[in-house]
Amino acid sequence: MATDRNDQPPSGWCASPNAIRLRSALRLSRRNTLMGVAAGAALGGSAWADAPGTSVTPSAPLMAPDHFMALSRRLTDRPALDARIGAALLDELLKVDAKRPQQLRKLHALMEKTRPKSGSAFAREAEKADPAFRDVIREILAGWYRGVANGRVVVYRSALMFDITKDAIFPKTYAAGGPFYWTSKPPEVAPPTGTPALPPIKLVIEPT
Amino acid sequence: MSSEQTLSADVVIVGSGVAGSSIANELVRAGISVIVLEAGPRVDRQHFVENFRNLENKPSYQGPFPAVPWARHPPDQVTPNDYLHTAGPDAEAYQQVYLRMMGGTTWHWAGCAWRYLPSDFELKTRYGQGRDWALKYDDLEPFYYQAEVMMGVCGPDPAKEDLGSPRKQPYPMDALPISYAAQEFRKLIAEKTPWRVVHEPQARNTRPYDGRPTCEGHNNCMPICPIGAMYNGSYSVYHAEAAGAKFVANAVVYRIERDAANKRVTAVHYYDPEKTSHRVTGKYFVIAAHCIETAKLLLVSADEQSPDGVANSSGHVGRNMMDHTGVQVTFISGDKALWPGRGPLETNVIDNFRDGDWRNERGAYLVHMVDDNQVDLATQMAIAKGYVGRELEERIRYLAAHTVRLFSHNEALPDPENRLTLSKTKKDILGIPHPDVYYKLPEYTVKSCEHTRKVFRELIGLMHGTDEQWTPGYFPQDHPSGSTIMGVDPKDSVVDGECRTHDHDNLFIASSSVFSTVGTGNITLTVAALALRVADTLKKEFAHA
Repeated sequence: MATDRNDQPPSGWCASPNAIRLRSALRLSRRNTLMGVAAGAALGGSAWADAPGTSVTPSAPLMAPDHFMALSRRLTDRPALDARIGAALLDELLKVDAKRPQQLRKLHALMEKTRPKSGSAFAREAEKADPAFRDVIREILAGWYRGVANGRVVVYRSALMFDITKDAIFPKTYAAGGPFYWTSKPPEVAPPTGTPALPPIKLVIEPT
Repeated sequence: MSSEQTLSADVVIVGSGVAGSSIANELVRAGISVIVLEAGPRVDRQHFVENFRNLENKPSYQGPFPAVPWARHPPDQVTPNDYLHTAGPDAEAYQQVYLRMMGGTTWHWAGCAWRYLPSDFELKTRYGQGRDWALKYDDLEPFYYQAEVMMGVCGPDPAKEDLGSPRKQPYPMDALPISYAAQEFRKLIAEKTPWRVVHEPQARNTRPYDGRPTCEGHNNCMPICPIGAMYNGSYSVYHAEAAGAKFVANAVVYRIERDAANKRVTAVHYYDPEKTSHRVTGKYFVIAAHCIETAKLLLVSADEQSPDGVANSSGHVGRNMMDHTGVQVTFISGDKALWPGRGPLETNVIDNFRDGDWRNERGAYLVHMVDDNQVDLATQMAIAKGYVGRELEERIRYLAAHTVRLFSHNEALPDPENRLTLSKTKKDILGIPHPDVYYKLPEYTVKSCEHTRKVFRELIGLMHGTDEQWTPGYFPQDHPSGSTIMGVDPKDSVVDGECRTHDHDNLFIASSSVFSTVGTGNITLTVAALALRVADTLKKEFAHA
């Protein structure tokens, strides 16, 4: 954060007392991306192969948004997902690693070929086919459920983790339960019975 | 590097946090002119809230508050750190965070507004440990109340729940009703242990107060309350400004000038972001720049008159660094769903370990069951465990409802070897050295933490907990204190019982840096009470002048 700004003179980013922004360049590009996606969707567009800022002429798509949405529906076991959020997530996920575009396409092709019955079944097949798919699947899930892709917040309040828990709790900074709502009894939750589909990884908790 | 006199006031205050801004507000309303110099920028709440929502690492308390290059603050609690450089056997335990911003570090506090216990001021006399303060609880009691009124503190009725610090008036607001999770925790502790869970006194509105709304339970007290239902220093800034105090942002004080006799401060000098120097004169000066930056400023101001730093004839500036270094564990309860995170962040405390005869050999502590929204952590845990699809969703829901976090504030002792010095190799863009801190946890604190771990294991057992995740080593609590320690003897202390420096008649310090010991409760209310007492002293001196 500070590093972003240390490269520039104060006048470049501190024109007003309230001009302090977190990774402002990145946030702007995210907003532009969302707008670009909305326009692209109207034209039946997709994520394009150009490096940012290198060209304005679309070349071959890295992954068709429809394919990403199909993959996402399978991995979440959900019949419908928001296409605008999907397009914004895809835009970030494609940038995680040079191999990601091809891996995402291969993962989709595997799904088309095997027609798995559930997200877990698909994840098991995929990681058997190529252990590298574990990371790709986790990234897609983190994108939809946390709203985070490629280290950036794509959506916050609309992340699926809040959809799953909305009968009990609010996203931080968005409470709307009325005075002292927190004293009431929240819903009970039965112990889950499902099993993991992928081998566990160590969770690295970021510092406070 | 031109130096010219641009400003002058009766009282010049360095730092705009709770201490500096509340002194400014008191003085200006008594007709005394005030200038407050704040090293960092002025930023509005809405921008911090926006930064938070766009932050990937939501638990990062510093994340929404990016530092400016001319007023760096620690980016996080990671060691090594690119601003606060800690070393020694327990370097990681002293990786504190704080903010250099208009309004100060209470932008991200949880509003916990504890009075210290009478015994906290007399640790040496009562238990033969540490030091006594150069004042007693009764000296501070009226100012504790004044601070509670200023901040808007809610708390329990002492007749029903005595927190051990005698009160002459009730809390300004009724206690905050605790969450379902805290109610269940309280019941469990009452039924299965000899301990108790009390309502934590908090600077949080349980009714509209001081033009601010009632708490809505956004669960984001740290890093940023989105609606201002929790007090922070910015409100004292606004009140002081409305009454005529002058606040200068981006003013990095780097020198404290004294008279020929070295008895009185005559001016402070600050750099603006372009490194133009400005001189500010006054009759009295108050350094209220947080424990770490206050000591740093006194040391940076070393010159021929005071080669070891200003106010440092004792050699104790920068020594005796303390904190509430604690223990932290997260686990999955096997009992009923609790859904922590509904309501404010910290509302309940086990207070049985705040005092006892055992303080002659181990430190006191208090325990928070943190009422923290666990949905994001639950999601990360469930994905890491390998769940996918429907199984992932049911696991997230279960973990969000059952994840419990406990942490403690454990008492440190003043040890002169635990010391802040100026970095010999690292400087900021203005050429001011970064702070270095050597830290070794006192054995007194280590024993206290061992006791806490035993208690936590017992609590985990009572809640049929699994998947324990202990924070490795010791957990810094961001309550640094002691760097300009208070005492009656000028040979081994920096300020007297009025927070006036022994060396310079018109130089006061308002900060946790004056603490002689650190007790267990969060430090802010005591910082505010001491600051209001400084304001009272100054008002009296001006009245008699």
